[in-house]
Amino acid sequence: MLVHHLLRGTILSGFAFLIVYLTKTDQLALYIAPRMATYVKLSAIGLYAASMYQFYLVFRIWSGSRTEPDCDCDHTPSPSLTKNTMIYGLFLLPLCLGFLLPNTIMDSTIAAKKGMSLNGAINIARPSEAKASGTGNSPSLADASPSNSTQGRAAPSPDDMFPSDVYTESYAAYAKKLYTQDLIEVSEKQFIEILTTLDLYREPFLGKQVALSGFVYREPEMSASRFALSRFAMNCCSADALPYGLMVTYPKAEKYKNDTWLKITGTLELSEYKGNPVLQLKAAELESIPAPDSPYVYPDYDFGS
Amino acid sequence: MSTFVLRWATPLVTLTCIGLMLLIVMNRDISFLRLDMSSLHSFKILFISLILEAFPFILLGVFASSLLQVFVSDRVIQQLAPKNPIAGVLFGSLLGILFPLCECGMIPVVRRLIHKGMPAYIGIVFILAGPILNPIVYTSTYTAFRSQPQIAYSRMGLAFAVTVVIGLLLYRFMRENPLKEIHSHRHAHHGYHHSDHHSHGQHHHDGGSARGNRMGSILAHASDEFFEMGKYLLFGALLTAFIQLAVSRETLLGIGEHPMLSNLFMMGFAFILSICSTSDAFVASSFNGTFNAGSLLAFLVFGAMIDFKNTLMLFSVFRAKIVLWIIALTFLLVLAGSYLFQYFFF
Repeated sequence: MLVHHLLRGTILSGFAFLIVYLTKTDQLALYIAPRMATYVKLSAIGLYAASMYQFYLVFRIWSGSRTEPDCDCDHTPSPSLTKNTMIYGLFLLPLCLGFLLPNTIMDSTIAAKKGMSLNGAINIARPSEAKASGTGNSPSLADASPSNSTQGRAAPSPDDMFPSDVYTESYAAYAKKLYTQDLIEVSEKQFIEILTTLDLYREPFLGKQVALSGFVYREPEMSASRFALSRFAMNCCSADALPYGLMVTYPKAEKYKNDTWLKITGTLELSEYKGNPVLQLKAAELESIPAPDSPYVYPDYDFGS
Repeated sequence: MSTFVLRWATPLVTLTCIGLMLLIVMNRDISFLRLDMSSLHSFKILFISLILEAFPFILLGVFASSLLQVFVSDRVIQQLAPKNPIAGVLFGSLLGILFPLCECGMIPVVRRLIHKGMPAYIGIVFILAGPILNPIVYTSTYTAFRSQPQIAYSRMGLAFAVTVVIGLLLYRFMRENPLKEIHSHRHAHHGYHHSDHHSHGQHHHDGGSARGNRMGSILAHASDEFFEMGKYLLFGALLTAFIQLAVSRETLLGIGEHPMLSNLFMMGFAFILSICSTSDAFVASSFNGTFNAGSLLAFLVFGAMIDFKNTLMLFSVFRAKIVLWIIALTFLLVLAGSYLFQYFFF
């Protein structure tokens, strides 16, 4: 019994310290989206409290003041040694992985498994009957302004350039804002929203200057002069993250290996990939950058509301 | 040792065989199994993120279950639980609106409630309906399918219909206690004992030790249950991370292209992915265009009710026969329902 409590206490506090360690080293974001992080941090407190109780029981049993916990529930662990080894091994495995292996960011290995999203979008649906999509809760033209890149001096663009219905109103409004910019900077905060808007309307943006940063990823079908520049878009945790980005064309594309982080400025053009039309960035300026501290992007929950 | 081998050898061999058969079907060799560094890192990221994501929910679940155990008497539960089966099924399926928990947090609570005398069919209905019929999941589905709000409505509608049917069937046909290993001890005295304390106000005198005991037994229950449930969660996360890395989405898409098979395929895919019901809508929306709305609906409803991770947890709590029945019923009803919705609504 003593050994069990000791092991359990160690494992519980191990998980608590793993969470603390990841938080302290700013690496929690590699696993969990920010909106989930608070709950994970809170759970560290629960784990820690439970582990302290296990150690307290160890102390009580060891000092002889109690031999059995006073709980009448049948939680007694299995007597089989093999089974116990396997169970505790299962709990120790993520702890070992977590503490011993260096933390890395998701790269092209995972991207290859998850499948790249180059057109359409992750949080937008393009119904087959109508090329339309948009925001749900309260679409309003006035509030759809992006936070940093534009100053809201939307030139009165003709509405027929950016047609919209009740679902796409906020994207249309955003498109009008983006259209007035000479250089469309794809910011981290609204990465998904900007790429979605560009892809939704395509034609008016062809020939526009666009700058974005991401990692290089290739699919076997891509020609030598092409790669995808993408970011992982995460909703909740790494398990639901999907790579999301733009096709890039550059004559000397082979120079850049997979998983290189680049900032690319170029011109938007329409091209074709696997028989479908895709937006493509004709790269003019390529700059190698270090992988950012926050490598992933998240849906902007304030967008269009 | 020998019982251990007997108990685990057959399922393990079966799983291995299924895996190998899949490889043959998909024309793949096992070269991807090689442990290069980058795969190991990828595995680590997925494995740990799945665990971390589930921690808050499972802790909430085990602490809620311990609080129930220590503070709420069996009598209260039995009085509160509806007697009428229709009311019971409705109660179970709509309980998620009050307690928006993830399925991994729900199972320990439901087990405790059933132990304490809540009719089992209500608990099972709650396990199935709770992950879908709650405000958080509704909002995330609505956001993910902004241009097709009917997906969010039909997800709620189909989930409700399926759980009501399953609940009534269970009420009618389930006669035995569905929980594994009926414990012979008395859970009752905890609750009565403590409520007596409260009613007489005696906790002022011996408050310190009583409160200490209660805190202690909450922590004891919670950490015991954490390990009981956690081992299935971890095993599920381990396999899920492995499958996500071993089988690429492209391969899966190749299988799922046939229109009649796509519903089946999406349900299988949801089962394998085992992602939380609050975020699966975003993954489903990335399939929009590749798959029709009916199969996305099948993905959204079936995956939230039954998936790899929670099947293991269900087997740990309920009798195997009941779990298999629940899975089969859910599977058939969701499949039929998704075809019907596709036909009439999309």
